[in-house]
Amino acid sequence: MMAGAFDYFQFVLAPQIVIGLVLGVAVILVALGLTIIFGLLDVINMSHGEFYALGAFISVSLAALGVPFWLLLVLVPALMLPIGYAVERLLIQRVFHSPDRHVTTLLLTFGLALVLEDVFRLIWGPNPLRPETPIRGAIEVAGLFLPLYRVFMIGIGALIIIGTALIVYRTRIGAMVRAAAFDRNMAASLGVPVQLVYAGAFAFGVSLAGLAGVLLAPLYSVFPTMGRDFILMAFTVVIVGGMGSIAGAVVAGLFLTQVQAIASLYISPVWTDPIVFGIMVIMLMVRPQGLFGRLGHA
Amino acid sequence: MRQIKTTALAALMSATALTTVYAADPIKIGVVTPLSGTYAGIGQQVKWGLELATKEVNAAGGIMGRPVELIFEDEEANPAVAVQKADKVFQVNKVDFLTGTVNSGSTLAVGQVAERAGKLMATTVSFADSITGDKCSPNVYRVNARAGQQSAALAVWMSKDKPKAKVFYLGPDYEMGRSTVAAFKQSAEKVGAQTGGEVFAPLDSKDYTQYFGQLRAARPQVLYTSVAGNDTVRLFTQLQEFGLLNNLTVVGASGTVTAQNIGAIGKAAEGFVTGVGYSAEIDTPENKKFVEAFKAANKIDPDLYGADSYGLIYAYKAAVEKAKSTDTDKVREAFKDLTWKTPQGEKTLRAGDHQAVQTMYVVRVNNGKFGIVGQVKGEDAIGADTCTRF
Repeated sequence: MMAGAFDYFQFVLAPQIVIGLVLGVAVILVALGLTIIFGLLDVINMSHGEFYALGAFISVSLAALGVPFWLLLVLVPALMLPIGYAVERLLIQRVFHSPDRHVTTLLLTFGLALVLEDVFRLIWGPNPLRPETPIRGAIEVAGLFLPLYRVFMIGIGALIIIGTALIVYRTRIGAMVRAAAFDRNMAASLGVPVQLVYAGAFAFGVSLAGLAGVLLAPLYSVFPTMGRDFILMAFTVVIVGGMGSIAGAVVAGLFLTQVQAIASLYISPVWTDPIVFGIMVIMLMVRPQGLFGRLGHA
Repeated sequence: MRQIKTTALAALMSATALTTVYAADPIKIGVVTPLSGTYAGIGQQVKWGLELATKEVNAAGGIMGRPVELIFEDEEANPAVAVQKADKVFQVNKVDFLTGTVNSGSTLAVGQVAERAGKLMATTVSFADSITGDKCSPNVYRVNARAGQQSAALAVWMSKDKPKAKVFYLGPDYEMGRSTVAAFKQSAEKVGAQTGGEVFAPLDSKDYTQYFGQLRAARPQVLYTSVAGNDTVRLFTQLQEFGLLNNLTVVGASGTVTAQNIGAIGKAAEGFVTGVGYSAEIDTPENKKFVEAFKAANKIDPDLYGADSYGLIYAYKAAVEKAKSTDTDKVREAFKDLTWKTPQGEKTLRAGDHQAVQTMYVVRVNNGKFGIVGQVKGEDAIGADTCTRF
């Protein structure tokens, strides 16, 4: 009986928890850029998923040209920076000062998402593409079968999350960003180049989405509508964690994906979405600001 | 003076050209199919198949001297969108006939729209048995093989190659997934297989690894799945990553691995076995000619969707020519037990339930390509007529 229980833990429960953890890291990677853009600019970026897809598409094309995967991890986010910067300066900035800023930016980014999806289809076609998994094979730890690439994802995901938090909370640029988020006018009068900070922060968020695209492409394959995949879950994570809080996104991301993994084993896989979105609804009713506060107010 | 003459001549010529165009009003066929979303690849094959047959029919003088015109609408594999688009092509474009639906839920929903509009429609893709079974409609036809036909062929193969295997079932959570799993479970249990469990994942699931817990707990020898499109790419690669493909034979619905996604699945597709109504490998002159023309036009092999959609235009042509009209009741009468030629041989539309009877094949992936490993006669795979509505 004991042996049976251990075997069950090793073969069924433990892999399920690890699977949930990998999914958690993936969701947090997508939510990270979203939370920064929301926390700082107060822009609900509905096209965030499409920037994630764009990163994946660029990485597939560059890989086909022979660019090694490790270089893509630097190159694609670097290429996404000017794209994000241009989108903020050319599009977001135009409607940013309108009195209905929330609605106009939301609609603008939503429209942009639709346009991008069609552009992907025109350039890359509707069929799925799949880059080779850069790290093949798996290791066995105490009878637990772990694909190496997923282990690597957890590791690099953690590095990216910690790195982003350090940039936002421990650097001079981060301080300027937080100051601009807290009080735009005060920061401007103290000499913070607010417009540049806004565009830069947007570009940084877009670049993070692109990086998530590079990392997740080998796991989930690449196709025009892939941007819709994580976006609902990422928004849920941002809402539950507290809009704009990096720590909140991490805690909520890990918590909600574990709920999904365990619920799919013991209740039914079909119930995971209703449960997770139910948690979001309850959160919005009980504590609308989320687990943690906003970026500019933390 | 001379210039006036040429202008007059040109005007005269264009006038005659106009009259020849207007002498024959086109026969309009609405195509409500997913051009975006997880089933975009399938919709693409539907489009290519219909377009190729339409081009051939028009080049040979059309149907009763009238050219065929296709009107496309994107239904995003979403029944709610499909209903709106079907309404639109019936009411606004005044189409004579409708096809293209992929998602079985869309086919069922659009079937009701067709009934209300008093028009006929056919699916060339949907598998769900209910479409020509308990939810059959006097206005709905299916020219492709349904889940039951595919399962019968696959189960015959499994009883020989994997006798008495324990089978785990994983289907997409909607009409097609539930009915394909139910159909195969029935066929498999009839030939002595055991059931190790079943699970249904939502359409467009980004991560199937969540479902592996239940799969592992069951420890099966065979996994049956009917996910399709991009979903298959994710399921198979994730199975491979977690080492679950070792010692596991994966079999499935004919739409699971196709020309559209086999490249992206790569090595994880090796050994996959399915029962289908069509394979590009069918060795007949008719099929070779079709495959060549399809490849020349689209630079890719046709799959079952492309082939069955191609065949539909000829079925409709045969019915309209027999009826000598595009009138719904007359064409319905002409479709009764209609036998017509397709790239995969003759098919017959059974009058009792509007389901096509056709030879079924068992195919397996070997080195990235499907090869035929078995064949079952149409009469042996078709199963009982369970439609009671007409």
